[in-house]
Amino acid sequence: MNRKDIIRKSLIGLAGLVIMIFAGISFYQHRHYKEQVVISDQVKVKKLGDYFAAIKGTNNDCNIYIVEGTEPGATMMVLGGSHPEEPAGRLAAWIMVENSHIQKGRLIVVLSANHSATTVTRPSGAYPQLFTIPTTWGGQKFRMGDRWSNPLDQWPDPEVYIHYPSKQNLAYMDIRNLNRAWPGRANGTLTEKTTFAFMNLIRQEKVDVVIDLHEAELQYPVINTIVTHEKGQDLATMASMTLTDFEGFSIGTEFSPKNLHGLSHREIGDFSDAISLLFEAPEPFLDATRGITGEKQLLEGKDAFVVKAGKHGLLYAPIDDNGWPIATRVGRHTSTILQVMTSWNEFHPEKEIVCEGVPKYKELIAKGVGAFLLDPKTAGAGKVIFE
Amino acid sequence: MKTLNLTRVSRLLILGLTISLGLTANRAVAQTAAEPVLLTSCGQSPGPVRLKIFLQKDAINFEYNLQAKAEDLMAKKKEGKPYKSIIIVTGASLKGMGAAGVSMDDELARTKALIAEAKKEGIKIVGSHIEGMARRSQGATAGDNTDEMSIDAVCNVCDLMIVKKEGDSDGRFTTISKAKNIPLILFEMNTEIEGVLKKVYNK
Repeated sequence: MNRKDIIRKSLIGLAGLVIMIFAGISFYQHRHYKEQVVISDQVKVKKLGDYFAAIKGTNNDCNIYIVEGTEPGATMMVLGGSHPEEPAGRLAAWIMVENSHIQKGRLIVVLSANHSATTVTRPSGAYPQLFTIPTTWGGQKFRMGDRWSNPLDQWPDPEVYIHYPSKQNLAYMDIRNLNRAWPGRANGTLTEKTTFAFMNLIRQEKVDVVIDLHEAELQYPVINTIVTHEKGQDLATMASMTLTDFEGFSIGTEFSPKNLHGLSHREIGDFSDAISLLFEAPEPFLDATRGITGEKQLLEGKDAFVVKAGKHGLLYAPIDDNGWPIATRVGRHTSTILQVMTSWNEFHPEKEIVCEGVPKYKELIAKGVGAFLLDPKTAGAGKVIFE
Repeated sequence: MKTLNLTRVSRLLILGLTISLGLTANRAVAQTAAEPVLLTSCGQSPGPVRLKIFLQKDAINFEYNLQAKAEDLMAKKKEGKPYKSIIIVTGASLKGMGAAGVSMDDELARTKALIAEAKKEGIKIVGSHIEGMARRSQGATAGDNTDEMSIDAVCNVCDLMIVKKEGDSDGRFTTISKAKNIPLILFEMNTEIEGVLKKVYNK
């Protein structure tokens, strides 16, 4: 090797090192960015590790927000962040925590069900690491995440993922997918331990209804819908009919397949007394035929390529030049949660849950998501929690 | 002469009125059905649950079996408690068929046999489409025609149709109704289903 080659290779190596350093700093900042949540006096915060010691201190030892009503009633649990690349689910849960006033019953909310997956984005997906929701007090930043747990927390993946306890073969990377790891196992992977801990929570807290918030690409047939375990068919159907009639948007229902394992709507219903429901809102950001995968697309839900796919009949949900803005998607979730509560109360008048203060679909579209995020700077002592 | 003409006119009027009343009565009868009811599906969509909720609420005597077979009708007849009407809700769901472990071909074969047995036993068949355009092939991806297959299998051969108006935006059910002379009840809001069922079952 002559001197020229040594210099050339050294320069290439140095360039690689510089890129690695910048990338490393960027990954570190994303992984350790602290999102802020403002809680009221009605909210108590526990940790997932309180329900299963093996989760304590791990990256999935997430916060559990319990909003206790003044009168007894039903317990409903809302899971945001099962798939942190579906931000409307997390934001809807955020709004529930910061705005809910529970009169009867109990609301348990999780903002980062798979916290590990909030600390990484899709490799080579060119996702933004953070996104900002505009507010009157300057805007609030959130981590964009991935569908799967961070490989830094769980690695390597097997060639085939054999789901426990069904033994069903699933795609290898879904061993890090929280919504393929229910009901979990005590001595499994981090993701399996996480769902195992959630199952303990659901049983110990005697949860009546679990709602798992998601978003889906428009090319996926299960969209704009409530997927329900057979125990929740009447509840989901009543909520879907009422929303479609009166709320200004259409939402259907789908039955949870009995032979598709690992999903919350199947396993929570099978392995606990709770009714399990899963909501899907449309997120063009996830479509394979999307254009630039940036923060603007994420928040506005506009994409000319997805619109074109629709013109070719390739989509299961409509889209036009107005897109699917984040407020619309979050509003679908909050309205559906509130309607499920109302429908639950119609079926169970002896065990009601009554929630006030949470904005619905039309209000969210009119005022935007930021109007319902609280300013941490004005919160009282001990009222700001970090996610 | 004048008296005779008046009598003829009166007779014609009475005849016309009688025919008109008769037709109205027939139409009214054609839009009713009797209990007990079997509620089932062709395509395993979640639509039947919408009817189930209101049938329960209004205490209409019904049984819910999403995979009802011809043999079920025979068994009830043998028991001496035959169904008087069956409601078959059309629209297909991949998740629903997956949950039931059946294919669209299975659904079509089961429904064909069920309808044949119902006709044999004189059971009134109510074809229904409840979920609007979202459960029509226009709402599905290119090449997926399962919703329309289930509609063809049931609505062309039923005695009465109950359909959400929005799902008839393209006139699909109105066309069948006119071509096959099948009475069609359209409703706009989901909450109207209760009133429709009350009317059909005289509750």
